Amino acid sequence: MSKRELTVLTDVTLITCIVQRGIADTIVKSATEAGAQGATVFFARGSGIRERLGMLGVAVEVEKEIVNIVVSTDHADRIFEAMYLAGKLDTPGMGFMYMTPLEKAATYIPKAVLDKLAAGRK
Amino acid sequence: MANSVRFGEFSREVSVQQNRISYSLLMPKIEKGPDGRAVPYKPPRLKVTPKETLKILKPYVSPRFMEQIRAVVPLGLYLMLFQLFILRQAVADSATITGGLLAVIVGLMLYMEGLKLGIMPFGETIGNTLPTKSPMPVVLLIAFTLGVGVTFAEPAIGALQYAGKIIKAENAPVLYSLLNDRSLTTRIFVGIGVGVAAMLGTMRFIYGWSLKPLIYISLLPTAIITIAFHFIPGLRTIIGLAWDCGGVTTGPVTVPLVLSLGIGVAAAVGKADSNLSGFGIVTLASLLPCTAVLLLGLYVYMTVPREAIMAAAAAAQAASSAAATPAWYEVTPVAEIIASLQAIVPLISFLFFVLIIVLREKIRNGGILTYGIFLAIVGMILFNIGLTYGLASLGNQSGSIVPAAFMKLDQVKDSPLYFYAGGILVALIFSWALGFGATLAEPALNALGLTVENLTNGAFKKSVLLYAVSVGVACGIAIGVLKIIYDLPLTWMLLVSYIPTVFMTYLSSEEYVNVAWDSAGVTTGPVTVPLVLAMGLGFGNAKGVLEGFGILSMASVCPIAAVLAVGLYVQWKDKRQKAALGARMEAAGGATA
Repeated sequence: MSKRELTVLTDVTLITCIVQRGIADTIVKSATEAGAQGATVFFARGSGIRERLGMLGVAVEVEKEIVNIVVSTDHADRIFEAMYLAGKLDTPGMGFMYMTPLEKAATYIPKAVLDKLAAGRK
Repeated sequence: MANSVRFGEFSREVSVQQNRISYSLLMPKIEKGPDGRAVPYKPPRLKVTPKETLKILKPYVSPRFMEQIRAVVPLGLYLMLFQLFILRQAVADSATITGGLLAVIVGLMLYMEGLKLGIMPFGETIGNTLPTKSPMPVVLLIAFTLGVGVTFAEPAIGALQYAGKIIKAENAPVLYSLLNDRSLTTRIFVGIGVGVAAMLGTMRFIYGWSLKPLIYISLLPTAIITIAFHFIPGLRTIIGLAWDCGGVTTGPVTVPLVLSLGIGVAAAVGKADSNLSGFGIVTLASLLPCTAVLLLGLYVYMTVPREAIMAAAAAAQAASSAAATPAWYEVTPVAEIIASLQAIVPLISFLFFVLIIVLREKIRNGGILTYGIFLAIVGMILFNIGLTYGLASLGNQSGSIVPAAFMKLDQVKDSPLYFYAGGILVALIFSWALGFGATLAEPALNALGLTVENLTNGAFKKSVLLYAVSVGVACGIAIGVLKIIYDLPLTWMLLVSYIPTVFMTYLSSEEYVNVAWDSAGVTTGPVTVPLVLAMGLGFGNAKGVLEGFGILSMASVCPIAAVLAVGLYVQWKDKRQKAALGARMEAAGGATA
C-alpha cells in the first residue's frame, strides 16, 4: 500500500448529453459558461426518433456525439438546464441527456487550493 | 432525521423549475401473445405538427445553406463591387444574376446533400465488396466506367458547354467543334481520361507504385503533343481547352467516389499500409483528360475539314436565328432538366447495375437513397440554371469589362479608365485577389490541409498549405490573364512552369509529391471553375484574342509549384534542424567522454 494521501471529491454528478454530430461544441461552450470545468466528447451512433419520423428522418443525423461533464451536485441542475437549452433538446430528434450521481471523483487539485481549503476548515 | 437543508440543495430547488414525470408512464406496455410470450414492440410513426417540422428542419437546412453561401456570396460580391467601384460600371442584369447565384447556392446545397445520401453509399458499398467478390480485370473495368460516369455528373462540366457559346467558329474551328457539335464526344473523352486515371489509381493502390514515374509518364506524351500542336495553326487553339479540362474534372463527385473505390480495393488486397493511399488519383485525373482531349482534337482536325465545321456552325447559327422561338427542348428549364438527367441518370444506373447484377447486393435504406437521388437531380437542375444565369454570366461580364481598365472598349464610357500600366496592374490585382479569395474559401482545401498536417506530423502546417495553394492559384490566374492580355503562347508558359515543377518533383520526397500534385485538383471546385472559365472567355473576347482558355491550366500548375517549393523548404529546414541537433549531441557526447 502506498503511503500517499489521495484527495477525492465528493458531491459530484455526471451529466451525459447525446446530440447529433457537430453540436457538442456549442453544448460544451454553454456548460463551461455555466461553470463546468471540463468536458469529454466522444463519437457514437444511435437510433430512436429518427426511425419513427418517416421522411423527416433524413433531417436527423445517425452519427452522434456524447458529451460527458462532471460537475458538483449543487451546480448540476443549473448546468443541466443550460446544456438543455443550448442544445435545443426540446426539438424532436435533437438528443437526450441525463444526470448520474457519482460516488467519488479524483483528479489533479492544485496545492494552493488544498491549502486554502484546509485553512478554511480550521 | 436532519431537519436542516444544505444551502446548495435549497438554491438548486429555487433556481430551476422542473416538472417531474415518471418515465414508467411513457414506456410502452409490452403485450403478451396467446402463447404467453411478449409480442415484439413496434414503435408507431410519430405525428409531427407543422411547427415541429419546421423546428426539425431548421438545424438540418441552415448549416448546409450557410456552407454554400460562404462559398458563393463573397465571390459574387467581390466581382460586383469591383465592377461598381473600380471600373465604375453598373452590373447589367443584376436581378437575373442575383437570382442565378441564389439558384447556384440552393442547387449546390441540394446536390451535395443528395450526393451524400444517394450516391456515396453506393460508392462505399461497391468499394468495400467489389474487390473481394470480383476478379481484378472486372474491378479495373468498373473503376474505368465509374471514372467516365462521374465526369458527367460533375457539376462544373456544364461550364464547358456554356464556354462553347462564346467561341466563334471562324476563329478557331476545331475548338468550336469540340465545344458545340461535338460537345458530347469531348465530354466522353474527358471521361475516358478520368476513367484511365481511376484505373491507374486503383492499380497504384494495389501495387503501391510511386507517384513520380506515373507523373513523368503521363506528362511526357502530353507535353510532346502540346508542343507539336503549337506549330499547327489549326490545333494551337485547343491547347488551352485541353489543359483546362483537367481542372474541370476533379470536383466534388469524382474525387470521393473514385477514392472510395480505390480505398476499398486497397483494404481488400491488404496493402493499405501507407496513409498516403488516398492521394494520387486526383493528379492523374487532371493530367490524363488533357491528353485525351488533345488526341480528340487531332482526330477532328485530321478527319473533319475546316469547311464542314464552318458550314455546320453557320447552319446552326442560321437555324437559331431563323427559329425565333427555340425548340421546346432548348428553352431554359427544359434544357437544364435534360442536361441534369443526362449527367446523373447514367451514373446512378451504372451504380445500380454493379450493385445488383455484379455484386448481388440488396439495396438497403431504399427510401433514403431515393430521397438522395431526387435531391441530387433537383440540385443539379438548379445548379445548371444558376450556372448559366448567375456564375457564368457574371464571370463573363466582369471578364469583358475588366480590360476597360487599360484599353478602349466600345461598351464602356471613358475607357481606358486608367493609364495603360496602371490599368494592367488593376486587372492583374483583380484576378490575383479573385484567385486567392476563391481558393481560400474552398472547403475541400481545408480538409486537405488537415490531412497533410497529420501526415507530416505537423511539419507542414495547415495554414502554410492553405496559403501556399491560394497564392499559387492566385498567381496562376494572374499569369493566365496576362496570357490573354498579351496573347502569349500557352505552350511555352506551360513548359516554363512545368519544367521546374517536374524538377522539384524529382527532388521532393514521395509524401510532398502526392500532396502537391493533388492540391491542384482539389482547388478547382464547382464555383471557381465556371466563374474563372467564363471570366477568361469574356476577357479574351473583349481583347479580341482567339480563345480565352488557359487560365485554369495556369491555376493548376502554379499551386503545385508553390506547394513543392514550400515542401522542399520544410524538408530542408527539418534536415538542418536535425543536423544541428545531431552536432550538438555529438559535442555533448564528446564533452562527457
